[in-house]
Amino acid sequence: MISAFSRKKELKVRQEILKGIYEENLRIIGKKKGVLLRQRTFSPNRVLLILCIAAIVVLAGGNYLDAPLLAEKQTAGEIVMRPLPSSAELPNASDFKAFITNADVSVSRTFGLGVKTIMIDAGHGGVDSGTRGKMGTAEKDIALDIAKRLKARLDKYGRFHVVMTRSEDVTLPLNKRVELAREAKADLFVSIHLNYLPSKPINIIETYYFGPSADSKTQELAEQENAGSQYGLGEFKEVIEKLGQRLKLQESRELAYSIQKNLFVNIAKENGNAYNFGVKRAPFVVLLGAEVPAVLAEVSCLSNRQEEKQLNTEAHRENIAHDLEAGILDYINKGEAGYGADRYAEKR
Amino acid sequence: MAQTDTRKKDEVLFVGIDLGTSRSSISAGNGKREWIESFVGWPKDFIAMQVVGKPVLFGSEALQNRLSLDICRPLEHGVIKEGINRNDEAVKEIIRHLIELAGPASGQKIHAVVGVPADTLKVNKLAIRKAVTEFVHSLMVVTEPFAVAYGMNLLNNSMVIDIGAGTADFCIMHGSIPSEEDQKTVLTAGDYIDEQLFSYLSEKYPNSKFNKNMVRQFKEQYSFVRDTPEEIRVEIPVDGKPVMHDIKNEIKRACESILPALTETTAEMIARFDPEFQVKIKNNIVLAGGGSLIRGLRDHLQDALKEYGPCKVSCVEDPLFAGSDGALKLAQDMPSKYWEPL
Ligand SMILES: Nc1ncnc2c1ncn2[C@@H]1O[C@H](COP(=O)(O)OP(=O)(O)OP(=O)(O)O)[C@@H](O)[C@H]1O
Ligand SMILES: [Mg+2]
Ligand SMILES: [Zn+2]
Repeated sequence: MISAFSRKKELKVRQEILKGIYEENLRIIGKKKGVLLRQRTFSPNRVLLILCIAAIVVLAGGNYLDAPLLAEKQTAGEIVMRPLPSSAELPNASDFKAFITNADVSVSRTFGLGVKTIMIDAGHGGVDSGTRGKMGTAEKDIALDIAKRLKARLDKYGRFHVVMTRSEDVTLPLNKRVELAREAKADLFVSIHLNYLPSKPINIIETYYFGPSADSKTQELAEQENAGSQYGLGEFKEVIEKLGQRLKLQESRELAYSIQKNLFVNIAKENGNAYNFGVKRAPFVVLLGAEVPAVLAEVSCLSNRQEEKQLNTEAHRENIAHDLEAGILDYINKGEAGYGADRYAEKR
Repeated sequence: MAQTDTRKKDEVLFVGIDLGTSRSSISAGNGKREWIESFVGWPKDFIAMQVVGKPVLFGSEALQNRLSLDICRPLEHGVIKEGINRNDEAVKEIIRHLIELAGPASGQKIHAVVGVPADTLKVNKLAIRKAVTEFVHSLMVVTEPFAVAYGMNLLNNSMVIDIGAGTADFCIMHGSIPSEEDQKTVLTAGDYIDEQLFSYLSEKYPNSKFNKNMVRQFKEQYSFVRDTPEEIRVEIPVDGKPVMHDIKNEIKRACESILPALTETTAEMIARFDPEFQVKIKNNIVLAGGGSLIRGLRDHLQDALKEYGPCKVSCVEDPLFAGSDGALKLAQDMPSKYWEPL
């Protein structure tokens, strides 16, 4: 008897409490206490919203899937990479083996879609002049001029859509450049810069793609070129580990080789002091966000007096634009011709 | 679970949500129970987005990527990183994420009871309501210790002390929904212990490199009051090299720093009632929240209160989910006429 009585009492207490909560919540939203509203039907909007959320949950299993990433993963297994350039030229990869051996290939090339949109990035600009030669030549101006010439040359083919991150002397943060490349759906990204090495009276040509670097000179350069982004080099280690799988490193490296080869061969003809520093990896912010082949070319060296003089002639800048053009085209043609052959080779 | 009206249950998914300063959890009628740390992080920019690969991150994952993110701990009295104020948005993201974790079936209506810290002001409750509205069909907001009490069937003659991160919330139950007088909040809780421990350790080991996060982890691993036979030594880098540090005394001092406010507030709140009721409450005190895991805390409180007569203090079994489980029970018990569409 007692237990039945106390249970009944407890039930009553419970009911009181539940009602109390209801009323308190009405007060919170400013409705009058105790006025039960008639059941309204749900607005179609809300039902739709909930359905959408539910659908997302079902589809994604609670994860945010990266659709393009998935596509790459599926294709990666079917592709055999072309042999790499001689191993002597390869960057020292001992500490980042996994990084360099990752076998991703641009989707557009894999499916023979070819390169349509090319994004040219003239380094620096606006308040950021980049480096400056002894005569006062600014990296930002030369880079922009060469970029414009390169665009004009590529436009002539009629088969490319060529876009520039900047076509004027404006300040443009690095992350903004990456975003522009994304928005333009670029298939290639080429960033143009000029080196400065005061200790050496030579003209150094080098081309970079994104990656870790243990070399302190390269680190220094990366720090210079990354100035203005909120990212410090220290942050890159983690970034690199995570992004290694997603960037088109293999492709970027090939693009870098094509460009470096053309640049150096041609410049060496004119300037006996030109040195081939080859293709290297460096954690440049501007190369980080692009999920397409992306390189940064240090096309010349402003610390070299002879080179600075030459850079002030139109002819020299046009030549450099020509070399870049040749490098890009080599890469593209190789890709298109090479793809079919690889396919057959793979079948064995 | 044997449910007679399964069909009806399927149309509606009841969920209980505990929105905490440091951790938030959800318990759902479909049996799912999930929790996340109450941190929300958005990629700072496009590059950061590339790095983390998601538009929004939660909890420990957000903390691990904090360099790339704007991080917000929305239920704290501010945000971790200055320069942004996205509290409302962050609360929304947490709710959205928790509900996703609960995995409602498509088309299922969601009826939610959300427990919030007891000192959340009315305006704030309204803000939380707004944040939740988008994701549920119907909603009730209750205070956290009350949700715990309800879930444990402590409706009468009892007291719940929820020692969380930002606050310790006290709530006395006497058969009706607690009034303002029945609830009290003090700021000496988990975060306060962390601050104390941080300053004690900084003082004792000025050359060692540790941060707030590490300090919290030390606390969670070794917390105790009164005494413990074990040695407490942790690895902290000094000049880049890991070195063992004895932190036993500092842990003890930091954990004990919350005791005075805890015992005094408890005694004070009980003292307001008549002696007969006092005895009943004192035999029915329950500790909840992450702070209830501090070793020796229960014994200490029980002994301290024994001065005024017999007393029994216990701890909830599952401090992570006691709040959301209680909120879920409330949701399931709530008569359907009270569930109004929003
Ligand atoms: N073993 C432990 N010993 C001591 N403290 C702990 C332990 N485990 C967790 N904590 C602390 O408990 C706090 C988190 O508890 P809880 O999840 O109940 O808080 P919350 O609900 O997020 O906060 P609040 O209730 O203030 O909003 C943190 O300060 C955490 O460091
Ligand atoms: Mg809590
Ligand atoms: Zn530059």
